Amino acid sequence: MHEVSLVNSIFRSIELEFPKQDVERVRGIFMRVGLLSNVEPVLMQSAFAAVIETESAFRQATLHVEVLPILVHCAECDKTSLVENYKFVCACGKPSNNIVQGTELLIHKVEFALDDD
Amino acid sequence: MSTPHTHKSNRAPVGAVQCENTSLNLLKANDFVAKTIRDRMAAQSTLVINITSSAGSGKTTLMQATAARLKDTLSMAVLVGDLETERDAIRIREAGVPSLQIVTGGICHLEAQMVLQAMDHITLEGVDLLFIENVGNLVCPAAFDLGEDYRVTLIATTEGDDKPKKYPRMFLTSEVMLISKADLLPYVPFSVEAVVQDAREVNPDIHAITVSSTSGVGIDEWCEWLLERVREKKGSDESNDSVVFLSKQLGSM
Ligand SMILES: Nc1nc2c(ncn2[C@@H]2O[C@H](COP(=O)(O)OP(=O)(O)O)[C@@H](O)[C@H]2O)c(=O)[nH]1
Ligand SMILES: [Mg+2]
Ligand SMILES: [Zn+2]
Repeated sequence: MHEVSLVNSIFRSIELEFPKQDVERVRGIFMRVGLLSNVEPVLMQSAFAAVIETESAFRQATLHVEVLPILVHCAECDKTSLVENYKFVCACGKPSNNIVQGTELLIHKVEFALDDD
Repeated sequence: MSTPHTHKSNRAPVGAVQCENTSLNLLKANDFVAKTIRDRMAAQSTLVINITSSAGSGKTTLMQATAARLKDTLSMAVLVGDLETERDAIRIREAGVPSLQIVTGGICHLEAQMVLQAMDHITLEGVDLLFIENVGNLVCPAAFDLGEDYRVTLIATTEGDDKPKKYPRMFLTSEVMLISKADLLPYVPFSVEAVVQDAREVNPDIHAITVSSTSGVGIDEWCEWLLERVREKKGSDESNDSVVFLSKQLGSM
């Protein structure tokens, strides 16, 4: 629902992290979004396409979105298990909402062109 | 809107690219501001509750009912987010509690920055209990920490009872689920038992209370829960006289 504002925060985060001349050379933005972040990759791509129309610095960039499944860690048996159908229960049967993966909303890699075209 | 983006393939980078591994958390700015709010409210022992639900589940009506019950017992204030109008804050002020509308101008959730800014325009000194009524939506508000102590999610008996499974993150991050409009239970196909069971599959620790702002059912239990949390929050500050007062109130309920 807030994909456009997310795309804007992607751009602002990159601008804060990298020097201005590098921002112009961004070609690939790699995101990891946990299943619980409620981010819809398809909507993310359309929002991205819409926003780069006005953000000339990022015109040549491509967005890659990887969705991460939810993993919980069980304190009882010290095991990490996959959450399916939003059932937060460990394989041993104990309920667990100690989430170790699935809430991410981050950029984990940025690709830059080596020379200006 | 849908011009083809041919320029991308035309000017695809040739040659080598340089990769930078990084870890830029897109919620970092929000989380930073949320911490500022949390620290500020902790310093003055104000309990902060973030109220979320779909549009129309009865958040504002619950604020009015809660105000009617508690406004003479403690000092309350309500910040209320809405896409466009100022109606909700007016309704809450009419119930005798200071309230300020945060008009998000189309943004589907409140962010910590909006709350922090609003805090400059309402007196929070001496306030024991601050409610933040979020924008009506169970998706986006789930990701934004507003510096609250507790998140309370309403689900009305007039909605489907499959909400916890459809919007797991909201139920996962809420401490309390209020099943609202309980007065309508005889007329709607809604199973309280099923919804509580589904919610507990997502969040085994979630506390459920069934309430009706119109009939008053469950409002005592809800207010008792609130008073207990306010008392806890003030507990860290031994010198506060209102602790004793609130304990007495609790005992009499
Ligand atoms: N029957 C019944 N209707 C309610 C109750 N609480 C709220 N409503 C009605 O539900 C509608 C939406 O309520 P409101 O508080 O504005 O919802 P909000 O959008 O979540 O703030 C209004 O018409 C209220 O009168 C309740 O406990 N019982
Ligand atoms: Mg409202
Ligand atoms: Zn286990």
